[in-house]
Amino acid sequence: MESDYDTQDASDTESMEDDFYSEETVVRDGEDEGEDEGKYGFSDNESDDSDVIVSERLQQNYTVLDETDIRQRQEDDIRSLSMVLSTSRVHACLLLRHFNWSVSKVHEEWFADEESVRRAVGLLGKQVEMPNVAELLCGICFEVHPRTAMSSAACGHPFCDSCWRGYIGTAVTNGPGCLMLRCPDPSCSAAIGQDMIDMLAIDEDKQKYSHYLLRSFIENNRKTKWCPAPGCEFAIDFVMGSGSYDVSCNCSHSFCWNCTEEAHRPVECSTVAKWILKNSAESENMNWILANSKPCPKCKRPIEKNQGCMHITCTPPCKHEFCWLCLGSWIEHGERTGGFYACNRYEAAKEEGVYDESERRREMAKNSLERYTHYYERWATNQRSRQKALAQLHNIQTEKLEKLSKIQCQPESQLKFIIEAMLQVVECRRVLKWTYAYGYYLPEHEHAKRQFFEYLQGEAEAGLERLHQCAEKELRVYLEAEVPMKEFADFRVKLAGLTSVTRNYFQNLVQALESGLEDVGPNRQTNSSKSSSSKNISSKNSPGNSPKSSTTTNNFDNYWYCERCTFANPSSNQACEMCEHRRH
Amino acid sequence: MANTNLPRRIIKETQRLLSEPAPGISASPSEDNMRYFNVMILGPTQSPFEGGVFKLELFLPEEYPMAAPKVRFLTKIYHPNIDKLGRICLDILKDKWSPALQIRTVLLSIQALLSAPNPDDPLSDNIAKHWKTNEAEAVETAKEWTRLYATGA
Repeated sequence: MESDYDTQDASDTESMEDDFYSEETVVRDGEDEGEDEGKYGFSDNESDDSDVIVSERLQQNYTVLDETDIRQRQEDDIRSLSMVLSTSRVHACLLLRHFNWSVSKVHEEWFADEESVRRAVGLLGKQVEMPNVAELLCGICFEVHPRTAMSSAACGHPFCDSCWRGYIGTAVTNGPGCLMLRCPDPSCSAAIGQDMIDMLAIDEDKQKYSHYLLRSFIENNRKTKWCPAPGCEFAIDFVMGSGSYDVSCNCSHSFCWNCTEEAHRPVECSTVAKWILKNSAESENMNWILANSKPCPKCKRPIEKNQGCMHITCTPPCKHEFCWLCLGSWIEHGERTGGFYACNRYEAAKEEGVYDESERRREMAKNSLERYTHYYERWATNQRSRQKALAQLHNIQTEKLEKLSKIQCQPESQLKFIIEAMLQVVECRRVLKWTYAYGYYLPEHEHAKRQFFEYLQGEAEAGLERLHQCAEKELRVYLEAEVPMKEFADFRVKLAGLTSVTRNYFQNLVQALESGLEDVGPNRQTNSSKSSSSKNISSKNSPGNSPKSSTTTNNFDNYWYCERCTFANPSSNQACEMCEHRRH
Repeated sequence: MANTNLPRRIIKETQRLLSEPAPGISASPSEDNMRYFNVMILGPTQSPFEGGVFKLELFLPEEYPMAAPKVRFLTKIYHPNIDKLGRICLDILKDKWSPALQIRTVLLSIQALLSAPNPDDPLSDNIAKHWKTNEAEAVETAKEWTRLYATGA
């Protein structure tokens, strides 16, 4: 039995190497068997239990950064730029901030036209001192102060320290726009850098400024994003164009890099966005936002138009200028697009029907509440099951495994099949949950696709229920009292078998959804060379063998149930179609 | 009430506005609220608003001078950058505000806006359209409105 399981597992490993979804599970196999730890390059991760969930990934295409790492990277960039340009640290920081922390962009622009970069960023060539008199007039409070109580930026415009404090305080309170602060003199564009902030602001504002600077390094950089989990302070550095968007933060939150919602493979980001919007408890508010605002075409924040002019300037740091009507860049507007007040691009597009909003609203209203409720309930139930499974997994890892090990006299390394089963449950609940959002948006009229999808989903769900039941309920018996060795060995075989079967079902589901259910029809051969079990699934789909046969038939006599995975096999088979376990 | 703790800067600005008013502009604080000013601007010569006297209100918010004053026309005016509620589309009243600006500079900028309407960045669509398509006619309407609403009658 033992060797049987091993060989089967090994063939799985071999057969699915070129498929991303399985890569993940393959790694899990390797790690959980405890044989080749470090083989996949994760041995440097801390190996406490909580990390088992997050560090299981082949060819990690992202790096998790904590605050120290971020500051270090930021500091390294600033320091190296200041060396290359022989400029001060403060200037290097302002330059990088201006060019969204792209070192290469700064180099490119600076060496092409240093003067215009200096002008744009507000870096003056040389320091101008304040007038050398004992007392000066402050341009903000209009009081005369001793020169020593006044300060100026590189431009020499003097303001008293108390007004500086207020000026910086107001800017910091207004948000990250304070990173682009200029001299208060309206005719002057000298930049105010962190040195001035540290010299003149109150401690609270200094901290906020420093925090905004850190945030900017992550948020204005195309390659990095914050982990969206509540309270999580890690950021993710992602290698663009490197396949899957799924990333796992060190806080154990998995999310989609592209849309920052929780990981939702195989469902597309746009479907997820629609679904979440629909579920939003504040859907009335959302309706209002949809009806009364437009997202900034650059930074996507919703903008409400509260005044007449069509020339919209987004709030800093975005500052994108665009036309409210066509959402095109303002620069492209002028006489040739029909003047500033009548945008021809909009008028033309309106005639073509691009902006027929009433049409879209009607379509949304068409989706009846009943249909929505059906999908929502199933989505939410799987969500809750996943939460419970996660809690149980944690519980097993922290206490039950040890207990079980004592009761059944087995080393913990021999009990990893339980963890593996629970990890599979957690992952499958996540996938299953999102397939309900997928199902909701799958067009009603595509009958073939719907049928195929519901069949795959049904199979996967039934497999998962069997697995979850076994891992949750049947496990309890073994936690209470010692059972004969043989009985526990059977349990191991059954659970491990269910785990591998369920994994296969979900691989099929994920592959089918990711290919857009393209291979509906008799010639579904894509997986045949990859794994024997998925070939069996495709053969079940071939004509003459109704897809529903295994789930809807009442004629039990023609089937035998596999001992290991409980799959119903035609009586003609001598081995299980699913797990290849032999019939007894 | 509102006059307790009035910043010295506001007192100084007020004194200077009263002692050396800018040509064509008068601004005096309300008796019960030193942050609220009654403003009058004369229509600049050689503009469609010539001969008119335009009333405005100006309020200095608590954060002033860190935040811009709030200004609004009370007299009806036909101008592409001023809407029918009297709100003014002027950058220094919004994102270009700086604490080194003051009431006087704001009012001078508004006066300059009367001399040079900017229909390319309009607040009132219809008026701007009118201004762009038929400037002569728009100017006539502005003169008409000035006569109707902004002369002492």
